[in-house]
Amino acid sequence: MIEKEVVVKNYPGIHAHPAGLLVKLASRFSAEVFVTKEDMTVNGKSIMGVLTLAAETGAKLTIRAEGEDASEAVDAIVGLIESKFEEEQG
Amino acid sequence: MPSFPLVDLLDRLRDRLGLEAVGGKIDPTRAIESADVNRPGLALTGYVEGFPRDRVQILGGTELGYLRTLPAGERPVALRHVCEQRVPCIIVSGGVPLPEGMEQVAGEFDVPVIQSARPAVDVIHEVSHLLDDELAPTTTVHGSLVDVYGVGLLLTGRSGIGKSETALDLVERGQRLVADDAVTIRRKADNVLIGSGNDLLRHRMEIRGLGIIDVQSIFGIRSIRAQKRVEVEVNLREWSKDDDYERHGLNTQRTEILGAAIEKVVVPIIPGKNVTVICETVAMHYLVKAYGYDPAEHFNENLLELMRRKANLAVLARDDTE
Repeated sequence: MIEKEVVVKNYPGIHAHPAGLLVKLASRFSAEVFVTKEDMTVNGKSIMGVLTLAAETGAKLTIRAEGEDASEAVDAIVGLIESKFEEEQG
Repeated sequence: MPSFPLVDLLDRLRDRLGLEAVGGKIDPTRAIESADVNRPGLALTGYVEGFPRDRVQILGGTELGYLRTLPAGERPVALRHVCEQRVPCIIVSGGVPLPEGMEQVAGEFDVPVIQSARPAVDVIHEVSHLLDDELAPTTTVHGSLVDVYGVGLLLTGRSGIGKSETALDLVERGQRLVADDAVTIRRKADNVLIGSGNDLLRHRMEIRGLGIIDVQSIFGIRSIRAQKRVEVEVNLREWSKDDDYERHGLNTQRTEILGAAIEKVVVPIIPGKNVTVICETVAMHYLVKAYGYDPAEHFNENLLELMRRKANLAVLARDDTE
């Protein structure tokens, strides 16, 4: 199990477009991916789950993955969020 | 530990119980952590062994009557026994004036006092009900919750296995969607699990290849439901020859959510299999059993009876050597 914290940097936060990029990226890994904001944890491969978090700019998220490629998955997702979703050009 | 702000309790029950905060304002950070309430009768006499200090304290006719029997100067002393436990709040019920010294003693220990126009039984009922709801243990489950013929089916399984598609298919056949993807489940008293959706998502779901759809606007009001008791988990799994699936149905599998047990059915998925019909059958089978008829059990009893009869006949024929 790998876990990392990341702060949402893009404005105003993870709305539909960035959430789509996040779940597409997460789905490329075989590891199970979970995203936690405060006391709510959702499946990182589910767009409805990620949208439910309503993660705004400055929100602290914990990315957790379990499985073979867990550490690659966590690094990739943390990278995506830190890159402000590559200004949503993905 | 879940907690519920006292100001919210005041707001939610203000009209129903005629509540009024003594001294006007209540500290917005003050919260209640226990879902139970207490009548502090004995504590007024000074006996505070095992006193439940984390509960809302309700003064009713008995407590107020007892205080009236005390000489005037001793009433604040009795109230002090309760207030010095620093209880979350005291509700004085019955629409009567505050007992002598209440405001001063409560103020000294910073205990909020609320007056209610209703009798203690009503206050206990409403406050317990609200706290039970708000302080219930809660979890979020990845799955879809559908009301199928009145049975709450929680569809679970790995991402992409087809939970949402099965839920959509069920809705199309007249069943009702409660929540898709992220189901919030609360455990109420006596082990009842209540599932609901999320205020933001409402009855929207993602259908792979299509995107986000709104079930209510497509299928109408009869296709949705705000909350539903969770009764059976239907776990969708890719068929694997190594998995052990239930074959005769004499054993009921169970699973636990928040410590409450519910039935669990593992449904193997193979191409061409109609998962929707299986889900509807799971619900109806559950109902049939709830009404007292277990087909597997009944069939097995018939079979046993038949075999006993045949075996007895064989013994009779063998021993009949005349």
